[in-house]
Amino acid sequence: MKNLSIILLLMFGCFIKANTQSSTLKVGDLAPQMDVFDIQNQPFSLAQLKGKVVLIDFWASWCTACMKEQPLLKKLYHELDEEVRNGRFEIIGFSLDKKKENWQRAVDRLEIPWPQVSDLQFWKSPIAKAYGIQMLAFNVVIDENGKILGINQHGEDLEQLIKDHLN
Amino acid sequence: MFLLSINSNAQDVKTHWTAEQLMSPDTLAKRIQNHQTEHLTIVSVGYDDIIAGGVYVGAGEEEASINALRQLLQKTPKDQEVVIYCGCCPFAMCPNIRAPFQLLQEMGFKNAKLLNLKQNIKADWLDHDYPIKDE
Repeated sequence: MKNLSIILLLMFGCFIKANTQSSTLKVGDLAPQMDVFDIQNQPFSLAQLKGKVVLIDFWASWCTACMKEQPLLKKLYHELDEEVRNGRFEIIGFSLDKKKENWQRAVDRLEIPWPQVSDLQFWKSPIAKAYGIQMLAFNVVIDENGKILGINQHGEDLEQLIKDHLN
Repeated sequence: MFLLSINSNAQDVKTHWTAEQLMSPDTLAKRIQNHQTEHLTIVSVGYDDIIAGGVYVGAGEEEASINALRQLLQKTPKDQEVVIYCGCCPFAMCPNIRAPFQLLQEMGFKNAKLLNLKQNIKADWLDHDYPIKDE
């Protein structure tokens, strides 16, 4: 029990830190360009999503906090199903995995429905650097013009941010 | 203090390391830069092979990687300094460091070290421009 408490304390501490970590980006900036490949090996550019509100979820199969957040994102994605179908909202999962098989296995296991992209460069990813990511889990919400609406928001704050903008 | 004694839920292995068994990134970087690694084996037990002069055995959460680490060090003198690292995330959340570190203890390595990547390999190594392997 004592050990469990310590772990929870540490995890909570990490989560708080993740929420307050610094970033090279700020709200109102244009989101850095992202030209990578999706999980089906097709080219993907963030510019393709112009006109939509986009949640870019930076995650990895080895990131415990990220994996725990996926079901919450799935719930949000289903709630916004109409906006997704109308082309107003999308989630993009950017994986910091190094091995594609690990990434694919996690996507399959969690049945993540939104598009998945990666440069498969782990922490050496130039995209991770461009977005100023210091720790996972990390996300960015961008508006229809590619401008940043929110950085590293989670839970109800994230949900509120997206829904407020869409409404 | 808490980091020195953690019962990992992920692997259900109780592992201890002392402050003396943690090697700072700055110390390792200087030793690599000054070519002082003759009696030092650097092993990645994470998801990538990043640090210059290191050997990669695979992610420590996988049994195959533990076997590879055992094989790698089978003929290594027990007084050799061996430093392992992962760097995916903070120690408390890392699934890869405990089993390899325990193996080093079981194999009798007296100078087993854990690279003290408090946050991750990016923040504590790459962002400092410490030596990395060529692509």
